[in-house]
Amino acid sequence: MASTGTIGSMDRRQLLGAGLLLALGVGTPLQLWRRHAEGESDIADVGQRALAERLSDLVVPATDTPGALAVKVPDWLLLALSHGQAGTAAQPTGPYVLARPVGSAVPVGLAWLDAVGRQLNAMAKGDFVSLAAKAQHDLLSALDAEAFKPGNDAHPWHKIKDLILTGYYTSEIGGSQELRYELVPGRWEPDIPITLQTRAFSSDWTAVDFG
Amino acid sequence: MSATFDAIVVGSGITGGWAAKELTQAGLKVLLVERGPNEPHGDYPTEMKAPWEMPFRGMGDAEEYLKSYPVQSGNRHFNEYTQHHFVRDDINPYTVGEGQAFNWWRGYQLGGRSLTWGRQCYRWSDYDFGANKADGHGSDWPIRYADLAPWYDKVEDFVGVSGSAEGLASLPDGHFQPPMALNVVEQHVRGVIGQQWPDRCLTVGRTANLTQEKEGRAKCQYRSICARGCSYGAYFSTQSSTLPAAQATGNLTLVTDSIVDQVEIDPVTKKATGVLILNTATGKTMRATARMIFLNASAFNSVHILLRSRSELFPNGLANSSGVLGTHIMDHASTLSGMALMHGFEDRTTYGNRPTGIVIPRFRNLDKADGHGFTRGYSYQGGALQSTWTQGKRMPGIGAEMKDNLHKVGPWKMVLVTYAESLPRASNRLTLDPVKTDAHGMAALHIAFDHGANERAALADAKVEAKAMLEAAGGTYLFGFDQPGAGGSSIHEMGGARMGHDPVTSVLDKWNRAHDVPNLFVTDGAAMASSACQNPSLTYMALTARACDAAVTMLKEGRL
Repeated sequence: MASTGTIGSMDRRQLLGAGLLLALGVGTPLQLWRRHAEGESDIADVGQRALAERLSDLVVPATDTPGALAVKVPDWLLLALSHGQAGTAAQPTGPYVLARPVGSAVPVGLAWLDAVGRQLNAMAKGDFVSLAAKAQHDLLSALDAEAFKPGNDAHPWHKIKDLILTGYYTSEIGGSQELRYELVPGRWEPDIPITLQTRAFSSDWTAVDFG
Repeated sequence: MSATFDAIVVGSGITGGWAAKELTQAGLKVLLVERGPNEPHGDYPTEMKAPWEMPFRGMGDAEEYLKSYPVQSGNRHFNEYTQHHFVRDDINPYTVGEGQAFNWWRGYQLGGRSLTWGRQCYRWSDYDFGANKADGHGSDWPIRYADLAPWYDKVEDFVGVSGSAEGLASLPDGHFQPPMALNVVEQHVRGVIGQQWPDRCLTVGRTANLTQEKEGRAKCQYRSICARGCSYGAYFSTQSSTLPAAQATGNLTLVTDSIVDQVEIDPVTKKATGVLILNTATGKTMRATARMIFLNASAFNSVHILLRSRSELFPNGLANSSGVLGTHIMDHASTLSGMALMHGFEDRTTYGNRPTGIVIPRFRNLDKADGHGFTRGYSYQGGALQSTWTQGKRMPGIGAEMKDNLHKVGPWKMVLVTYAESLPRASNRLTLDPVKTDAHGMAALHIAFDHGANERAALADAKVEAKAMLEAAGGTYLFGFDQPGAGGSSIHEMGGARMGHDPVTSVLDKWNRAHDVPNLFVTDGAAMASSACQNPSLTYMALTARACDAAVTMLKEGRL
């Protein structure tokens, strides 16, 4: 994140990735993926990880409760994408064709993250992850607003945001400190007042599924 | 290896459990055969897990689901906590008709789908039992409400059904435990509907979740994660209820991991002699014999067993001299008819997860033909709910402001889902696939099924009426649909061995006994001659209890 160089992020990421691979002597992303499939933890390249960390932190920052970084949402995001969670095993519809084709040995899911990264770099006219936090927030807010315009449901950001929120609110801190979690309520109260202190339940399963 | 019993019950799900209970309590030695693994009551491995204790946060591994559960994973109750209560599609194949789709959602384990069912318990009325005769679709039921009413009583008393008596002709009241309360929005909508449409009633779903303790079963803890299994025994399942009752008699032999391949028959007496069982753990086949057989393998699997049980006497499937075996299968046509934002209750919420929704029973085509372009009817289920963090997936915004928004209880929404009656049609049919086989070499089931124009017209009407009711209650209508989901999506698949008066046009008689085979009973959903629009399990259970009583009487009188 320290560099403010003018190299496009894909180039930078490729350079970083290639450098790391050479340093570790582990070869290609395909081999990396195979290592993951065999139980090792290197799912993504360092550029993808850096982007996952910035996006997670920007979407759910630490406030009076810990944020996404404290509960390792980036780890979840990369794992989830590598398994095609939230429909990321398939190509998006519409104009957002991913760089990595379906059927590639490397999971398609990570290409959704790459697509978001490409757009943010284009908006940044450089390397998004190298910008100051305020600039990152403003750019991501703009991308978020664009993605949520009517008719733009296929924008890859929807999936990334979905998985970041999922990672946070299904963590112990997100689910039981930021929100309320009660596995065994023991009673049903059909009508009670909401106060300023009332927090939503992460264990309201109907709301989770259909709310 | 062989064994001899008074009765063999095939399948340990909701009706198999009842057959085992009723027959053992009558003093018969019973073999209960379950194709899936044992799952002892209380030993529900994911029951108490939090999302952060699950490898994929409760959603499961999408990669695995694509490969092994492409059909089952579409079920709303299927997730990482419940996936072991569903079959793997890759090793339990079936085929569908050209250009058709059918979601055959199944669970092969002790207790079957009694572990995962929706628990809604509704009696049928004579509007339903008389429907085939009245409008000519399908064949006439050989029974009416009065035949089944005492058995509904018996079943409800044992199951423990909470609900509210409403005095409705189309949905007879039963023996209920105290109802779970409507939430504040549902109560409001009930009032508006009752005032504006006196022939319509919104009431709380009648559900097999206890509101009072009962025979060693605790009352509901308001978790609403029933499909994981409930060690409190607070909802009715084979494990919580019928199996312990059957085992307490000392008359039950239970075998799991055992698939009944065929029912065998004596060509001279034309009676069933027993079953051939494949033990999936050992790969060995055994024969069990009995004085009578009850098929309770689930609607399609009971038909599947009969289709597989071919002999010289019955070359087209056992008990199929009529040729109607496998035909006239049904599944309620269902869709989300309306969702609305509800206003005026922003300062109200609830505590606990009520494991049932609401129901608006059928009001069309009762005493007057007021269905526009369709016969019979539909009913709504659904409820009012508030959003939680997942609404953030559909909203713009990031950062502290968004986090603060998601901290709060979300807005109220009201949802109405329609279940429309499925007409019995000969073209909707089960057959043996001529090519495809399962992992055990048995012919796969072929399912030909389409919803028809009647169902679509009912859903179109339901969408219009849902919008009208939600808006009358002050809601902002968001969206709704009028096209049904794929066949099977209601998980109310039924028919294929229908009951009827006439051996020429039906498979089973008024006692659920095969016209062709006097000691063979089919008492699960296969027996249904029509579908009504109510959730069917309570009727299956009542039919089973009634058939068991008749079978025991026949056995004692030497008529089997």
